[in-house]
Amino acid sequence: MTSTRSRCAACKYLRRKCPSDCIFSPYFPSDDPQRFSCVHRIYGASNIGKMLKQLPVQLRADAANSLYFEAHSREADPVYGCVGIITNLNEEIHDAETELAKIQAHIGVHHQTKNPEDGEASQSGHSPVQQQ
Amino acid sequence: MVGATPCASCKLLRRRCAKDCIFAPYFPPDDPHKFAIVHKIFGASNVSKMLQEIPVQQRGDAVSSLVFEANARSRDPVYGCVGAISYLQNQVSQLQMQLAVAQAEILCFQMQQQQQQQQQDHHHQQPNNIPITTQQMMNQDEKSLLLSTSNFDYNLLQQQYLNFSSTTSNNIVMQDPPKRESLWT
Repeated sequence: MTSTRSRCAACKYLRRKCPSDCIFSPYFPSDDPQRFSCVHRIYGASNIGKMLKQLPVQLRADAANSLYFEAHSREADPVYGCVGIITNLNEEIHDAETELAKIQAHIGVHHQTKNPEDGEASQSGHSPVQQQ
Repeated sequence: MVGATPCASCKLLRRRCAKDCIFAPYFPPDDPHKFAIVHKIFGASNVSKMLQEIPVQQRGDAVSSLVFEANARSRDPVYGCVGAISYLQNQVSQLQMQLAVAQAEILCFQMQQQQQQQQQDHHHQQPNNIPITTQQMMNQDEKSLLLSTSNFDYNLLQQQYLNFSSTTSNNIVMQDPPKRESLWT
């Protein structure tokens, strides 16, 4: 009995037979054609295949997901792609750190107001940014 | 004059560098690695198509971001830039928590102050609502808590890749999360 396994999204897109060991099929199922067309537009099938093949099998799903994320970001923002997201996050961090420093300064002032004679206890124990 | 130096792209691709070569302004011959890494990840043809679809004045930035992404993917073949995004999101969450704690603390102080003032100054009634400075801070807090999602449904994609964010945090390869100033280095 011949197998009637349906082609993965990649092989459908590329109009080719989907072999049983197709590198794309676990990560680009046939029910989500947009996913492969997106990564194909940005990276090309050959590059995707090469990148996946160079990775251990257990990491390929994560790699495919991150490639899709980056490709989708690039489609949405052709100039900056996901680097735009990184920029926004950096700005957000900068703003939050500034705000936190301001508030902690306020807290410091409040502590000092509360205990003017106790210089040590009036200082807040918080540092502006707790690094990991 | 015939014999102008081909750009890094045309050198690598071993072809004649035309006068209107799309790569030439952005991939000078003295930096062959820049094009090599972009070609390795995206492919010259895809890069060319992407640049053609972008206005000329934005192509420089586009190339810089492509180089950045290509380098990130080269350093971290599994997560690429997404590793950095996950790391930065973690930082944002932690800062938001710290902000919330600090704001709660300052709110406590101000309420205590208000109560003390009301007790001391019994004849001069203070308004019952929270002092305006705290209100302003709370509005500022709401603003700063929002993630900017200007371009697309980032939250949807974020949910998609959150499935592997737990492994991402263990496998972060990016030693230096990109800062605004040094993004293009």
